[in-house]
Amino acid sequence: MAAVAGAAAVEGRDRFGLGWRPELAAGILANLDRIDLIEVIADDYFNAARRDLRALRTLAAQVGMVLHGVSLGLASTVPVTLRRLDRMARLIEATGAESWSEHLAFVRGGGIEIGHLAAPPRNEASIEGACRNLGCAARIVGCAPLVENIATLVAPPASRLDEPEWIERIVCRAGVGLLLDLHNLYANAVNFGDDPHTFLRRLPVERVVAVHLSGGQWINGPNGVRRLLDDHLHDVPPEVFALLRELGRLAPQPLTLIIERDGRFPPIARVLEQLDTARATLAAGREAAP
Amino acid sequence: MSSPAMEEFLARLYTDEPVLAEFLRMPSETARAAGLSDTEVSALAGADRIGLVMAAASFRAKRERRKSRHRLLLWRMR
Repeated sequence: MAAVAGAAAVEGRDRFGLGWRPELAAGILANLDRIDLIEVIADDYFNAARRDLRALRTLAAQVGMVLHGVSLGLASTVPVTLRRLDRMARLIEATGAESWSEHLAFVRGGGIEIGHLAAPPRNEASIEGACRNLGCAARIVGCAPLVENIATLVAPPASRLDEPEWIERIVCRAGVGLLLDLHNLYANAVNFGDDPHTFLRRLPVERVVAVHLSGGQWINGPNGVRRLLDDHLHDVPPEVFALLRELGRLAPQPLTLIIERDGRFPPIARVLEQLDTARATLAAGREAAP
Repeated sequence: MSSPAMEEFLARLYTDEPVLAEFLRMPSETARAAGLSDTEVSALAGADRIGLVMAAASFRAKRERRKSRHRLLLWRMR
């Protein structure tokens, strides 16, 4: 477990923070006494000017900072390019971020950029590819990323494993920590007829280092089918807080928790209120632990 | 079952509306024409067709949103 321990474990306490977005920046800076850390989208800064990187480094000196990648495509049978990993390594060095994370997704194929995170076929080959890419990432960047489960509107074609088993096999074999996105878990469970709490209990919760919370909305598809879209445009729903409480009950290790919001930004007071709810919910889960 | 060719095919389904429409009409023929193996073709036969349509639409919307955001960033940097 030491290999996957995050800063929360080093500090020995749970930490609570927000995704860094320009629209929330002023509110975050005005409330650093209520925020333990921020999560910065790494891809937004790969081509940043030096002054922007200096600003980020200055920010990292005031509040904990972690980097979050969205475009490496680690869960792929195609090796991740050294150029992309090198960019991440340089950004970590330039900003002084304490750790980094990426998704268990593929984002391109045959030179075609999907433009977002896609779930690969869940099978032996994608496990093999993900573990190979994670090993390479750890060597080039200097430390392994936490890996995040993604939301998907489509049951990944050509899959042979269900999601909990696929995730468990990757994180255990690669020896990495899990950034557990509870809204992604919830959306996939309800979209494909699984019980979210059973899904959570099947994951290697001892490997969870960090948690994402966000919201989404139900959308209509063909033939009257409705699925839950993880859009980061809505508040964290009660069902996701219930999963957080359960996680707190199951996982005794310190966790780093981030609320993500990508649009329809409410006043910062509303975001901080959600953070307070997360703090209280996790604490309630801890108290309910056997 | 999962291969670079399969990932390329899925990337095409998610980004190319005519290819997705053709796949929905004739899944095996379209997958075979893309160079997938017989095993991969049969694995795609039971694909979640509604999910494919919804995912492709979602990816398209996200690409558009990203383009708008990029244009906004460029405008702010002027």
